[in-house]
Amino acid sequence: MKKANNKKGILMFAHNNSEIDYFRLAVVNSLLIQKNLGIKNITVVTDPFSLSHAEKTLGKRLIKKAINNLVVVDKDKKFKEKNLRLFKDTSHNAKHLQFYNVNRCDAYDISPYEETILLDVDYLILSDTLNQCWGHNNELMMNWKYQDIMYERKDPSLDRLYDMGITMYWATVVYFRKTEYVESFFNIVKHVKNNPQFYKDLYKWQGTLYRNDYSFSIAAHMMSGFVDKGISQLPTTLYKSFDTDDIHSAIDENTIIMYLEKPRSPGDFMMTKWKDLDLHIMNKWAINRISEKLMDYAK
Amino acid sequence: MTMSTRLTKALEFANYRVTLNNQQAQLKAKTQSLLSYSINGGTFSINIPLITFCKQLIDQGQSEVVLLDIYKNPIKIEVESFYDEIFSRYNEVTNDYYTEYEKLRKARKVHKVLDLNEKGE
Repeated sequence: MKKANNKKGILMFAHNNSEIDYFRLAVVNSLLIQKNLGIKNITVVTDPFSLSHAEKTLGKRLIKKAINNLVVVDKDKKFKEKNLRLFKDTSHNAKHLQFYNVNRCDAYDISPYEETILLDVDYLILSDTLNQCWGHNNELMMNWKYQDIMYERKDPSLDRLYDMGITMYWATVVYFRKTEYVESFFNIVKHVKNNPQFYKDLYKWQGTLYRNDYSFSIAAHMMSGFVDKGISQLPTTLYKSFDTDDIHSAIDENTIIMYLEKPRSPGDFMMTKWKDLDLHIMNKWAINRISEKLMDYAK
Repeated sequence: MTMSTRLTKALEFANYRVTLNNQQAQLKAKTQSLLSYSINGGTFSINIPLITFCKQLIDQGQSEVVLLDIYKNPIKIEVESFYDEIFSRYNEVTNDYYTEYEKLRKARKVHKVLDLNEKGE
């Protein structure tokens, strides 16, 4: 691991499951980050299996070009087998697969940077808007507000941990600096992860799946003095598409044409051109299908 | 024209309207994002009141002032260079917005709204 002498950088986590090649997504996004944000300091946390698969499919040279700091950790097998999530490749294809997200709470300890932007690998960087975060007065920022790119679609269940609960923050993009306050924040995230039943009873999130959005939201609530929406939002809006959507094509390193599922007609789509704004694409298969093209544009 | 042809046409138009509305919303979102400006640890939303206020400060001979950013945090700025930056950004971004908005307004088919050819490529 690199020493903490780097001023600013990006951190992502990439652990493959039996179907989704998260490491490939990390490579695609790293190339987009270099192209659109101009940032070379990119750390990806992965496991030996995901890395060796990527070395076979992408080659060591491309990986080195995309990511300048790889952190290889072993997976917690018990957690891996327990945390299953429903993944969709549009409404036509849904599968229960392992969802390995347990070590995101270690982001603070792993990051070698004084200023870090923690990203989901499927949050594609199609613009330079995140550069507004560097040097910010707020030491920790993440969004609770999001915007579906199908503007007609509304899902109030994503606003709170449960109907009467605290506001849900999205751990998709998190900016943080290395300060005492942020260290305490991540300590609480870890505590939630290690004691999920206690916090589930207290904050009443739905289902059995462990999500970082929950633990980050609870930490945000506690670290704000038990006040809702106490942590500042990022200076950029979080735009999302959902796993029921698909990608038509990538036009260049800033533009993607999407198929968006119509809200009142499941399985039926409309199209939209998404340009110059970062986008969270939940359909991982869709990104993998256009990954070659995106890599070519961003190289 | 049979009823089913009329209905098909109406549905096609409905599809075009939904696509157009969504595309206009995307354009607006992009413009909003480009009108966000971060400096000295704060973030400002560039708009007409901010530009006018900065011009007034310059006219009054002020050089360093404190402004509240979008988080309501006080940020000290050097007003002349700040004004130059937000003024030129505002003009550049709104001009691009106008050009792209007009292009969208004139597009009468879904593929034209998306800048694709008729085959959707």
